[in-house]
Amino acid sequence: MISVNSLAKRFAVENPKKLTTQEQNDPRLKGRFFYSVEDVSFKCEKGQVLGLLGPNGAGKTTTLRILSSALKADKGEILVDGKNVSEEPIQARKSLGFLSGSTGLYGRLTGRENISYFARLHGYGKTQTEQRIEELSSLLDMDDFLDRRSETYSSGMKQKTAIARAVVHEPLAVVLDEPTTGLDIMATQTVLDFIKNLKAAGTPVIFSTHHLEEVAELCDLGTVIDHGTTKFMDSIETFKGLGTSMNDAFLNVLKGA
Amino acid sequence: MWMIMQKELTELLRDKKTLFFMIALPLLLFPAIFGAVGFFSSKAITEAENKTLNFAVIGAEHHQVLVDALAAVDTLELKTIGDEDFKTLIKDKTLDFVVELQPNANGKLLEVGQTTVNLYLNDAGLNQIQKRFNKVLDGITEGKRADAFAELGISETQQIALLEPVIVEKINIAEERENWGERIGGLVPYLLFLLCLQGAMFPASDLGAGEKERGTLETLLLAPVDRTQLVLGKFATIALAGIVAAMVTVFSMALWSIIIGNAMAISFVIEIVGQISIIDFVLMFLMLVPVASIFAAVLLSLSIYAKSYKEAQSYMGSLVIFVIVPIMIALMPGVELEGVWAWVPLTNVALAMKELVKGTMDYVQLIAIFSSTVVIAGALLAFCVYWFKQEKVLFR
Repeated sequence: MISVNSLAKRFAVENPKKLTTQEQNDPRLKGRFFYSVEDVSFKCEKGQVLGLLGPNGAGKTTTLRILSSALKADKGEILVDGKNVSEEPIQARKSLGFLSGSTGLYGRLTGRENISYFARLHGYGKTQTEQRIEELSSLLDMDDFLDRRSETYSSGMKQKTAIARAVVHEPLAVVLDEPTTGLDIMATQTVLDFIKNLKAAGTPVIFSTHHLEEVAELCDLGTVIDHGTTKFMDSIETFKGLGTSMNDAFLNVLKGA
Repeated sequence: MWMIMQKELTELLRDKKTLFFMIALPLLLFPAIFGAVGFFSSKAITEAENKTLNFAVIGAEHHQVLVDALAAVDTLELKTIGDEDFKTLIKDKTLDFVVELQPNANGKLLEVGQTTVNLYLNDAGLNQIQKRFNKVLDGITEGKRADAFAELGISETQQIALLEPVIVEKINIAEERENWGERIGGLVPYLLFLLCLQGAMFPASDLGAGEKERGTLETLLLAPVDRTQLVLGKFATIALAGIVAAMVTVFSMALWSIIIGNAMAISFVIEIVGQISIIDFVLMFLMLVPVASIFAAVLLSLSIYAKSYKEAQSYMGSLVIFVIVPIMIALMPGVELEGVWAWVPLTNVALAMKELVKGTMDYVQLIAIFSSTVVIAGALLAFCVYWFKQEKVLFR
């Protein structure tokens, strides 16, 4: 289970003169600080998929970076499988599978080596790692390219490898930051099928996206963040009821209608 | 830490750019460059020595003996000039030099005293004109001097005493190793430090800013590994790369100097190396370890701070000056491993390496220098770890 409660994170503005007019007029700019996240809360239980939505600059990436313990929250609490991310970051990371916005593969390593490296960092032995890689390779259809250097991969191959790396340690919860961005239809479908498999296995999944049709297809829950604040947190059925379409519902949430 | 280091090394060894700068360049290109410079320099000198020079003499009638002697040399060709401006003829390369003789040029020394010969030439490029002219002139002058001494009735022993009244005979009690160690010992740290820094720069840029730029750093931060371990793994890789680059280059230069050097150079090199004990070699290597650690910690801190590979490279470029200055101080005459210089970081290590080459190192002092350098390296590494944990640095 992933639980995010009243999260806040501010950054010092080094040079206010360099801010754009839009940034200067943003209500989150308070004195020398910019509150990237002001008050974000959501919860995702076992077997649920939560779609994290919001316009660009809403605070989604900051929220996910705090969730992954890459950043520290100034306020609030995040629990991953009962472990407080701020207090036990290493334990929380062991429970969490995280796919960041960029695939972040080591180009001079093969796909197998990329995945294996992270498995070993998670404490997996050689045999256990090999077995797990074979399992993921089969699930994500990676056999053809797994032993090639990842710098030669297409976007789809990179994303599949990145997903395999994120879940190689069989995490108790998974967070995917825009996992289908830039992928073709086939690769997108593989990723979506993989999320369905995770859901079926009872793993809570949070994924941020701009593709509302994916949210409608996969998610049980929806959360909309705007200007660093949670504007909506409920079931996807409730979300759908806010407008004539998913897009309409999303815009209505942002307008506060 | 070892797992991280192992992965970093695997990646580095697969990077053609790193392999080129760390292995191929020192092994092949540096010796090729030095060999080419040596070859073309010696070729140019030989050509200058054997080139046929055109010359003219103004006032030839004042010293026909000299003019005839010059003209008799196979590679000197006498030209006749009229009222033309001889300086223009030299500039447009019609003539290589012009000799202007005074009326008293061939007079007896005891009668005319000292005389002046003007030698006009374009001395801007490589030439051996004065050397070749002096060779002819000296033969004639010596004869005239001997005639003058004979006329004065001065014996050969007296002539020698008059020409050089006092001979100072230097009896150097320093060992041979100390002699050449003083002359070339300072170059050892100069070479090692810069090669080490150069070798560490590429991996440092790649492991910090490069990872940031490619998005792999953020992924690595998600691994259940303490950030201190991440820094240590990267730091050890960079330090090792620096040491290996320095060692490969030194080894390559030694090897190539034996292969392409002449027999005299070989015996000289073997003689030099043979006089340095294994212990001194090991101590020099040990002194390089904390220096490489200092470089690695500073380079990694700069690289982590930089937003991109390019930005990291620009920071690192300016770092070279901070390394060259302390080494140059150690190369300055009169700077010894004592007083304040024994406590100046890098300068003290450079001076210690020089003393090790000379064979005059005080090993107790070496422990103090090694310890102080280790402390500095440790402090910089601690800063690097602290730096790596700063959000404003990682997510600039």
